[in-house]
Amino acid sequence: MIEAKHISKSFVKYEKEKGLIGMIKGFVNAKKVIKKAVDNVSFTIQEGEVIGYIGANGAGKSTTIKMLTGILTPTSGEILVDGIIPYKDRVRNARNIGVVFGQRTQLWWDLPLVESFSILKEIYQVSNEDYKARMEMFEDVLQLSEFIKSPVRTLSLGQRMRADIAASLLHNPKVLYLDEPTIGLDVNAKLKMRQAIKTMNKTFKTTVILTTHDLDDIEELCNRILIIDNGKIIYDGALSDIKTKYGSDTKVSFVLKEAWTDFVDLAHLMEVDPKDIIVKVDEDKLEIGFDKRILSVAHVAQVIMKNYEVTDLKIMETDIESIVSRIYNEGKVNVSND
Amino acid sequence: MKRYFEIYLKFLAQHLKRMLQYRSDFLIGAGSFLFIQASGILFMVLIFQQIPDLNGWSLTEMMFLYGYFQLPRGIDHLLTDNIWLIPTKVRRGEIDRYLLRPINPLFQLVIERFQIEAFGELIVGVALMIYTIPLLNIDLTVWTVLLGLLFIILGSLIYTSIKLITASIGFWVINSMPIMTTVYNIADFSKYPTTIFPKVIQYTVTYLIPFAFVSFLPATALLNRSNGLEILLGSVIAVSVLSIAAYRLWVLGLKSYQSVGS
Repeated sequence: MIEAKHISKSFVKYEKEKGLIGMIKGFVNAKKVIKKAVDNVSFTIQEGEVIGYIGANGAGKSTTIKMLTGILTPTSGEILVDGIIPYKDRVRNARNIGVVFGQRTQLWWDLPLVESFSILKEIYQVSNEDYKARMEMFEDVLQLSEFIKSPVRTLSLGQRMRADIAASLLHNPKVLYLDEPTIGLDVNAKLKMRQAIKTMNKTFKTTVILTTHDLDDIEELCNRILIIDNGKIIYDGALSDIKTKYGSDTKVSFVLKEAWTDFVDLAHLMEVDPKDIIVKVDEDKLEIGFDKRILSVAHVAQVIMKNYEVTDLKIMETDIESIVSRIYNEGKVNVSND
Repeated sequence: MKRYFEIYLKFLAQHLKRMLQYRSDFLIGAGSFLFIQASGILFMVLIFQQIPDLNGWSLTEMMFLYGYFQLPRGIDHLLTDNIWLIPTKVRRGEIDRYLLRPINPLFQLVIERFQIEAFGELIVGVALMIYTIPLLNIDLTVWTVLLGLLFIILGSLIYTSIKLITASIGFWVINSMPIMTTVYNIADFSKYPTTIFPKVIQYTVTYLIPFAFVSFLPATALLNRSNGLEILLGSVIAVSVLSIAAYRLWVLGLKSYQSVGS
């Protein structure tokens, strides 16, 4: 569905020196600085995939999305979206895509929501039946009717985002680009957004590309992630792969009935090398860290519960958030997935 | 084409609905424009108390010219005022949204706003027409009425094109507002017979920034002071050149926006 081949995007900036003399110098002979926002990025996305595109602020996410949607022309490289070069054949591409920029509405500020929809219906030439069917579906998932008669400017952020995503899906696009669709939303609104995305993806095989800082979005929605850092893709693969590489660190914490005082060699009890487990003790709290590939949670729990009276137990797997921050810091990932 | 027309009608209906909803906004907007116009007319009347005519133009003729000037200006103001916002939208990255929909970006931009203040200009224009035409030596034949209406449409297009040209400069220049207002203000010369101004100005508003075709030259044609066909031909040429240039520049601006980003 989407193919990006060695795309780069550079922006030219003029560096100015400080002070009056610097200003005059800059006016006469400004120093050109070329910043590569996206640097030789390639990927292929199949129909129906839900891709999480993640990276720190300024890593190049939005620039990539803008190139895919046809707003920006790449400095070099080539993009094909459903056989169309988006920046060359912008109008034809626009028919195939839906776009939501979380920070900025695509709706008409002063028009009542229902009018915005009826104008979009006209713009994308959606048939009456399709329009009715989709509005009913949106109503099911997003509950728009409570505010559909209000002008967009009076909607709350959560309502506006629900409206925006419905608007982006009205013409049943083949590809849906979501640039931080859940930013600033409360838990409930986030759930609704995710539900709508899931429903659309399941029903119509809509390909979804999602940038987000909310890792729950990714865990909930995406089967594959692309991580971009400094304009370069540093990871492209399944979420599960990255989780097996980084996510096998597990902690189990126990709350014991009495404080742990006998200092037994737990490694010995569990029949592992002492350096394979990390034990932390704080009076009645006992925390054991280990690698899931060496020890199982069940085994650890069993050993402890056989020897002590346990009142509470909690299993903590590494969350995607800490994995991603580790990858950001390491810069390059080597997960063999081919 | 039909799709564009239907979209336009939908927007128009919404704009009118809002106008009725916010009646006081409309009255204040149109009222203040009416006031500005009225003071312009008053100023003219005062001057004509001192002089019998201005370079061969009587007070009534001057008022006709003044009123006729308001009509294309009002139409342009009413329908395409959003063009003024192009530089701002470029700076804020708001052009993006027009590039995401499968219809003409300029069309999307223009239909977003309907500047109801313009009714102030249109009311003054129509009122002055009604008042001055019976007093003047104008034969109300089908030809003159047609010519008059044609000139109004062409005049609005001149306005819109010049506005689009200056606004599109905003794609390359961060603060293009001064250029826009300066050029727009040159139009004011066309409120008066351009023959009263120095040659430089006459040539400028006829050939360079052809605001003279908005009202002064058409008015001479309608008042039988010049050859209507010649002026019409000139106006058609001016509109063709300007509108093509303006649209090209806008498209070029969009291209640069797409390659430079915001």
